[in-house]
Amino acid sequence: MKKKLIALMLTGALVSSMGGMAVTADDYGSGDIKVWVAENVVDFTNEQIGSFMEEHPEFSGYTVTVEPVGEGDAAGNMITDVTAGADIYAFAQDQIARLVTAGALIDVEPGNAETVMAENDEGAVAAATVGDILYAYPITSDNGYFLYYDKSVVSDPSSLEAIIADCEAAGKNFYMEINSGWYQTAFFFATGADLTYDTDADGNFTACNTSYASPEGLVALREMVELESSSAFQNGSSVDKATNLAAIVDGTWDSGAAQNVFGDNYACAKLPSFEGCDGNTYQLSGFGGFKLLGVKPQEDENKLAVCDAIAAFLSSEEVQLARYEAVGWGPSNLNAQQSDIVKADEALAALGEQLAFTIPQGQYPGDYWTLATSLGDSIISGELTPDSSDDDLMAALTSFQDTCISYAG
Amino acid sequence: MADSAAAGRAKKSPAGAFFSALGGSIKEIGTTFKEGDWKTRISYPVFGFGPLMRKQVVKGIALLACELLFIWYMVGFGWNYMSKFATLGTVATEKKGRVTVYGDNSFLILLFGLLTIIAVAALILVFVLNVRENRREELLLREGKALPPNRKVLGSLLDENFDKTLLTLPMAGIFIFTVLPIIFMICVAFTNYDAQHQAPSNLFTWVGLANFRELFSFGSSGFSSTFFAVLGWTLVWAFFATFIDYFLGMGVAILINRKGIRLKKLWRTVLVLTIAVPQFVSLLYVAKMFDPDGLINVYLMKWGWIKSAIPFWTNPMLARITIVVINIWIGIPYMMLIATGLLMNIPADLYESASLDGATGFQMFRFITLPYMLFVTGPFLLTSFTNNLNNFNVIFLLTRGRPQSMAMAENAGRTDLLVTWLYKMTVNNTDYKMAAVIGIMVFVVTAVITLVVYSRLPSVKDEEAFQ
Amino acid sequence: MKENSSIKRKRAIGNTFTYIALVLISIIWLFPFFGLIMQSFRSFDPAVEYGGMVDYLIPKTFSLDNYRFLLSKSTNFLLWYRNTFIIAVFVSIGQTIMILCVSYALSRMRFKGRELLMRFWLILGMFPGFLTMICLYFLLKQFGLTQAGAVPGLILISIASSGMGYYVCKGYFDTIPRALDEAARIDGASRAKIFFILTIPMAKPIIIYTMLVAFMAPWCDYVFASYVAFGYDKSYNVAVGLTRWVWTNDYQGYFTRFCAGGILIAVPVTVLFMFLQKYYVEGVTGGAVKG
Repeated sequence: MKKKLIALMLTGALVSSMGGMAVTADDYGSGDIKVWVAENVVDFTNEQIGSFMEEHPEFSGYTVTVEPVGEGDAAGNMITDVTAGADIYAFAQDQIARLVTAGALIDVEPGNAETVMAENDEGAVAAATVGDILYAYPITSDNGYFLYYDKSVVSDPSSLEAIIADCEAAGKNFYMEINSGWYQTAFFFATGADLTYDTDADGNFTACNTSYASPEGLVALREMVELESSSAFQNGSSVDKATNLAAIVDGTWDSGAAQNVFGDNYACAKLPSFEGCDGNTYQLSGFGGFKLLGVKPQEDENKLAVCDAIAAFLSSEEVQLARYEAVGWGPSNLNAQQSDIVKADEALAALGEQLAFTIPQGQYPGDYWTLATSLGDSIISGELTPDSSDDDLMAALTSFQDTCISYAG
Repeated sequence: MADSAAAGRAKKSPAGAFFSALGGSIKEIGTTFKEGDWKTRISYPVFGFGPLMRKQVVKGIALLACELLFIWYMVGFGWNYMSKFATLGTVATEKKGRVTVYGDNSFLILLFGLLTIIAVAALILVFVLNVRENRREELLLREGKALPPNRKVLGSLLDENFDKTLLTLPMAGIFIFTVLPIIFMICVAFTNYDAQHQAPSNLFTWVGLANFRELFSFGSSGFSSTFFAVLGWTLVWAFFATFIDYFLGMGVAILINRKGIRLKKLWRTVLVLTIAVPQFVSLLYVAKMFDPDGLINVYLMKWGWIKSAIPFWTNPMLARITIVVINIWIGIPYMMLIATGLLMNIPADLYESASLDGATGFQMFRFITLPYMLFVTGPFLLTSFTNNLNNFNVIFLLTRGRPQSMAMAENAGRTDLLVTWLYKMTVNNTDYKMAAVIGIMVFVVTAVITLVVYSRLPSVKDEEAFQ
Repeated sequence: MKENSSIKRKRAIGNTFTYIALVLISIIWLFPFFGLIMQSFRSFDPAVEYGGMVDYLIPKTFSLDNYRFLLSKSTNFLLWYRNTFIIAVFVSIGQTIMILCVSYALSRMRFKGRELLMRFWLILGMFPGFLTMICLYFLLKQFGLTQAGAVPGLILISIASSGMGYYVCKGYFDTIPRALDEAARIDGASRAKIFFILTIPMAKPIIIYTMLVAFMAPWCDYVFASYVAFGYDKSYNVAVGLTRWVWTNDYQGYFTRFCAGGILIAVPVTVLFMFLQKYYVEGVTGGAVKG
């Protein structure tokens, strides 16, 4: 009996001393870390994190689970209930201000922040910044749009009028989602109207800089109205949902689908230019957009350190390149952008060309997007038509601009 | 429930009844203490002590258990929240270095504070029952009567008190998962809980009537005009959805039930498919069919009937009409089923004598069928009208409220009903305070319509008459 | 005789028109389902046929790719299906028990506050359900019944408040003659015994109706189910899983797969419904008359 007890105590001591040793080698403790990424990169992310954890035995106390939650849902869920949300999650940069306000994002660890700012393209860094603070790790810089078209139908992809004429002649459709705040800016920014918001470090909107209600804005709006009146025009931005497609303004995520539809006639180009009602020619502009990775505020310092490390790793050059190879997401990392395989990608090349004419998408209040949808819907539903007077259009723009301003402050 | 029971006894003035019952209870508590023995007096702090001493084990244990449960709840959980209820929390979340230290969670304080307040009310009720039980027992003993054996007390739960057994679980469920949340959301309407004040990172607090003032302010925010626009469409929609389906459904039922029509069962089965197939499958598919590039437009264009796509979903007026039309597809079968059963109840000799008098088919419908149907289905029409006021699925799955308009606030669209607008506010904007206000308004609209119409229905008789 | 034949002719003409109308109605009613079935047989594999939206109804090649995909390991569809089935079964049983209890108590027993209780529940029903969604979410979270626990959570929520839907069932109980109860009571049967031995066996049609309605609802539950699952895709039900395929941009080319999934859900539910249609008709008709 006694022997047994001693043996028991001995093993107990041994176990505890081993435990103690483990603690000295691994003072990060243990826990669960939840990661939310879009469904099509779940497997990829799992693999990457697996190899990362192998390389870092000091984090071995943590179990990382990757769950498929799309970027849109992720932001919504994080805002609804931060505590139940993921520790690390991917989201589109238009959500960042809301997330900061709701307390769902912690600023990037200062050591990592320097690296992130040095290694990623300027637009991506700007998109991940609220106030003066970097709140997220950029992972892609491909969230922009350009033109996919059918070579056999569209002869001159550089002019909107020519594209429309070709489509009308062939009885095919040109798609652009003009009731989306994201695509709409292609027209407004082209003519020189602008719309940006200033935010403070808490994610609150402090000021709205806009000149939509101006002669420039009028030219843009009239062009949209004219475009909508064409029989070839359809509102939309998804190749899969499009029918009878000849050209579409869309992003890199649809390149596979576009290649399927167009087959040998597949081609891409930067957005066309158009001749405004004032006789000038404008190059379509728009937003450059980015996918970001955020870390949730943590109550435990060690867990935060592990989350920081994982997020930094998932946004690093090698993982961005690997992600491009796996699912074709264009990297935001400068070195990765310069690699040969990325440069050889037709769609990314077109996007790269277009990016020169875009502005990096900053922070916009959630209401902006729905407001923009309303403006687009007014065009599509025929409230605004080519016959509308300049006054009518200007009235719409003024109300739009006033509402935009009311969101700030 | 005792309060409500007391109030129920005198229907004429519930408030008066309530206060007289309250006064009665207080008086009873006093007399019982004064006249009671030591067992009864100890029962005041220790519930159920008297019954236990008098060998009324079942009642004694039940009362004591209530008190202990309450104390356990209060100490471990409830007090913590209730004490902060007045402010909804004062300790803000802060960052120490890079670590976040969460402060008070206003949401949980409000929710569990409410629960605790209700628990206190329940305890007072149990206390009154406790006193009353002691009093009853003492009086019985004084009269020299024996107290009922425990077996009988338990047994009564399956017999004369069977209603209590049956209703306990349903009432508890409804209380926790319907009543408490509704009280909670009514409270939210008086706070500033929205995207800027999101627990746990930010605190929210009471703001009085500010949200209601915003709803009814005719200022630049446009909230008020949007509310009335949405309300208007909601009423119009409910009217058309209810009555078009009602008459068409009846018409189809009459068609199928005509003498000499064969395959009655087949026709019914075809129609009933729309009830059987889950709506999220059928309606999502139908919504796609009406897209500008959907099947309907594409085929109409292929056949050359139209030149450009009909904007079923983007033109506000057309979108509304399309929704009503598609709702016919969903709604007719229900009415058809109901009408089929009811039409058989109309005595055939009524029609025979009418046709002998030379009445036409339409006249027979107008003077025999319709009055009967309207009389019998009055309450059904009313409930289907209120259901349509809140018909979330059809609108949500078909248009999600679109098209939106520049003229509307808070993302409201031209086809939004109050409920779908409410949904957008909670899920997309996390603007809970205004959602709560709109929710209260939906309640008011439904309640007013129900009250006004219900009392005028011809078929509303004393419910006992059915038996 | 002559008159008779003219009436007959009139009726024959009338019937012909009725048949035409009924055939037209049937075509309109069946067309979307026909489209759905056709789409479900169009492959999403670009090598076979283009998988997005197309402007024709009949697929060029019939293929089972969508069904193969749904039954394969590359999606959680089967898991969602199982979740929904489990929810439907439990909700169906639980709601029926709740409703039977409430209906019996309100129909047969007379107790203090009965009318007030009924009026109170009627008023509660006028509050829109979505209002309380956020609150219910946090209540469930407190019990650990969200995300991974969403399935039991949804069952709990669906059953908990179901007592308020007693109207149809109580209406049916009201039509069972009270004299039967009285006779049994004179024979010394307790209320509980009457409930179990007498009332429940007589209420078979309404029990089947209640179970059927309760069983069908979870297949359609999108809003609250997506809230409670909170992004945890192993807890999705079919409505949440499939709706995401149609709406989100993350999942492109899933339209035909949605159609196939829809068919897989609709077929068993429809078959069940058709089997029990008789009881359903009885239930809705009774419910309509009693309001």
